[in-house]
Amino acid sequence: MSALRISGGRVHDPANDVDGELHDVCIDGGKVVAEVGPDARRIDARGMVVMPGGVDIHAHIAGPKVNAARRLSFELRRDDVEACAGALRSGTGGLVPSTFATGYRYSLLGYTTVVEAAAPPLAARHVLSELRDTPMIDKAFLVLMGNNQVLFELIRESRGAVSPALRDAVAWWLEATGGYGVKLVNPGGVELWKQNNGYVDSLDDQVAGFAVTPRQVLEAIGGAVDELGLPHPVHVHANNLGVAGNADTTLETMRTLSGRRAHFAHLQFHCYGGKPGGRLRSRAPELLDYLGGHPELTADVGQVMFGEAMTTTADAHVSAVLRDLSGGKWINHDTEVETGCGIVPYSYRARNYVHALQWGIGLELFLLGRDPWQVMLSTDHPNGGSFLAYPKLIRLLMDRGFREEQISRANQRAIRETALLDGLDREYTLNEVAIVTRAAPARRLGLRDKGHLGIGADADVTIYHDRADREEMFATPRYVIKGGELAVEEGELRRADDGLLLSSRAAFDPEVSRVLEPLFGERYTVAFAHYPVRDPALREPARIVEAGS
Amino acid sequence: MPDPGPVTCAGCALLCDDVTIEPSGDGVRLEPPCPLGAQWFSERARRPASAPAATIRGQAAGVEAALNRAAELLRGARRPLIYGFDGATVEDARAAVALADRLGALVVPGGLAGAWPGAPALPLRGASSATLGEIRDRSQVVVIWREDPLTSHPRLLERLGFVDGSADGSPRRAWRGTRTLVVLDDRDTATAARADLRLRWARERDLEALTCLRAMQRGVAARSSDLGDALGGLLERLGEVPHAAFVYGPALSSGAGGQRRALALHELVRALCGDRHVVTLALPSAAGATGAEDVLTWQTGYCGSVDLAGGHPELVTATRPLMADEGVDVSLCIEGGLSPAPAGVAEIALGSLPARGDAEVSIHTAAAGVEATGTAHRLDGVPLALQAPLARDAPSAAALLARLLAEIER
Ligand code: SF4
Ligand SMILES: [Zn+2]
Repeated sequence: MSALRISGGRVHDPANDVDGELHDVCIDGGKVVAEVGPDARRIDARGMVVMPGGVDIHAHIAGPKVNAARRLSFELRRDDVEACAGALRSGTGGLVPSTFATGYRYSLLGYTTVVEAAAPPLAARHVLSELRDTPMIDKAFLVLMGNNQVLFELIRESRGAVSPALRDAVAWWLEATGGYGVKLVNPGGVELWKQNNGYVDSLDDQVAGFAVTPRQVLEAIGGAVDELGLPHPVHVHANNLGVAGNADTTLETMRTLSGRRAHFAHLQFHCYGGKPGGRLRSRAPELLDYLGGHPELTADVGQVMFGEAMTTTADAHVSAVLRDLSGGKWINHDTEVETGCGIVPYSYRARNYVHALQWGIGLELFLLGRDPWQVMLSTDHPNGGSFLAYPKLIRLLMDRGFREEQISRANQRAIRETALLDGLDREYTLNEVAIVTRAAPARRLGLRDKGHLGIGADADVTIYHDRADREEMFATPRYVIKGGELAVEEGELRRADDGLLLSSRAAFDPEVSRVLEPLFGERYTVAFAHYPVRDPALREPARIVEAGS
Repeated sequence: MPDPGPVTCAGCALLCDDVTIEPSGDGVRLEPPCPLGAQWFSERARRPASAPAATIRGQAAGVEAALNRAAELLRGARRPLIYGFDGATVEDARAAVALADRLGALVVPGGLAGAWPGAPALPLRGASSATLGEIRDRSQVVVIWREDPLTSHPRLLERLGFVDGSADGSPRRAWRGTRTLVVLDDRDTATAARADLRLRWARERDLEALTCLRAMQRGVAARSSDLGDALGGLLERLGEVPHAAFVYGPALSSGAGGQRRALALHELVRALCGDRHVVTLALPSAAGATGAEDVLTWQTGYCGSVDLAGGHPELVTATRPLMADEGVDVSLCIEGGLSPAPAGVAEIALGSLPARGDAEVSIHTAAAGVEATGTAHRLDGVPLALQAPLARDAPSAAALLARLLAEIER
């Protein structure tokens, strides 16, 4: 890896309190360094904006669910192809691009790290194989644990407390799969869906057959993740996604986890007032208030963008509701012991009350929040829209005129339910954009070498033309540097890079196998001995982030 | 023979991973017993040490020479075709699509003798499905649609909880009362003999039957009088339980009209899902089929046959072998069956079993699950590790494909 000097650019590195200062960024050996010699290659970044590479804390890019969504969206990829050229592989795009295209397109957008936010542990080998075929970016995945019958048994035994066995089991599962963090999706509710198309009404509902409640699952697994000191806190997709009045559930979930670190996924889908079955309202301000008083909690927005989307979720009950709304394609897949899966293509329309309200609530979360470190950018790709819509979303945040014009096209009855017409003139600064798209996600993921440009950081750098049209600016970086090497130049990929798998590891008592094995034997149809992924071809090269480090 | 502990059998797409193998006669015996699995292991364990590592036009050759000849053929190919994957691992399939990408090849996941898969039904409407354990522990009614798993996937019924002599093989059934095994077939198969409820009509009437079921489920009277009673009985049984599963395979979904029949089944299941939980399970036969299809989907975006000739993936929707129409001149068969290649096509075969005598080039590969490790996707999508209880040092197909690619790019 050769030395490189990025000179004369305006640097936005909020993690190091650098806000648009002119200074050089020096790179050697794949890392940011203090100085490089006079022979170092030079990138002239005068007049340009320099940021750390983008970090996506929540997207769906790999695994059986994503692959099923690819199948379901074959029409959308016919006219959106990547050609095989040199070392680059061919592929197709659409809302759920093929693996190579996913890596290329994230890289072309200036993103260098992406988290797959919901992997069934039973499918770890599949997820890892796909991630191996997703080039250019470093990637991690979160392991679904919120509806795991084996963990339910341990939680029942401990009556909802964090027991040593539970803590060990959580660490065992990460080690068995190569996962990075722990995801809870509709805790308890997916098991109820698989039992009898059921759902959770309150956090204190019993999950039939297990005598555990969603609240106990949150407390026990959230607590275990916290006690293990995993780099990323428990990542929660709360119960009752999309349902009118679900803000009560979300607040209750936040209260349950408060005092422990936790990240709330796609908060926009969990911010609704109104009565179940009735008209949706916004309760975003209330949730933001609560977050404001609880710095240990963070969220990503899950902004919906008008246009086509592909809803893909472990929360299969939601998919059945969308199936009945849309009448269109629908996939349901039940995974034994662990989770469910639902997929429905969906279209968000500006004139539709609910869709416009969802869009408006997302913007409220961005614009009314006081601390951008707490509320990060996501579209829950491809659920609220493709990651390719990020530049447009950034323009909505940075450009008030553009935003108002877009607001005027949306359903006005919905917009009046939000704060968007109350003279909301906030415009994100470049530093705030750098916070919500790289600095905050990296910090929240516990990736100390990412999301900033301090000495010792990974040399993942994105350099933009400073254009007035922020959408254009963020859609086509001038340069993207990944691991110290030039990856993208003016919308063209310059090299093929495999990227790293990011895994985390926490110590556990290996004797936990004795507890798990009998519980496995009577539930799974795969052998306990064969469950953990050992094949180095799937697990390496990886960077392991140790718990508590 | 060393005792490797339980291993995964790749004798069929069920990929049972609880199998112990023991020598028996000149082959092996499996525990739990399975005739198909025993035959599969035995065929691969029996390979004489003297068998050539490669052949060129039927003559023994070195691997290097065979690879060079294969690379030469592929480099000069006008219209290369890559197919097979019956015994391929996920790693093999990844390497194969990488090579196809570089060559601009046509990729057909499956053999060439039968109908091509064409455009499957799932992309048009979706499907409801589940892993084996979900069906075993929840489905009280399991309908087997014109397949004979006791022959093709001998342990399927056992693994779905239908143990000999009792219908209760589920250690953790969420239901009480008896389970019903419904078998639709007009042939007297081994599976049909196990049925609690038998349905019989000719295959030509499957679409009519599915359409009628859908209509009756909506409350519209069945128009077809002679099927009405049988269909009514099935609907009644389904109506009594909160969970049911339909098991189907090529007999429903392949050949002329296959896509429509599969669509009709998924539509029926979807309708039944309104007030209960109903799932489907597809039964591909080959252990490598699901993995190859998954790889093709994630690397190209399409399942089914994919054409890379234009420099990017295009979905091929044809459902009959079009070898002649496609102008294929060189074919590369990866861990495929022994279907005859059409005349005028130079065939390169990478496989763990002896290739046909008329192959231009054949190279012996280590059989995944016997001689080499790898990953395979079970028919319900669950990815599993394949072990190498009789490890030998023959190259895997993936390794050979990587060398071919390097040779072609040189
Ligand atoms: S059913 Fe199939 S996978 Fe299972 S042991 Fe028999 S041949 Fe092998
Ligand atoms: Zn998500």
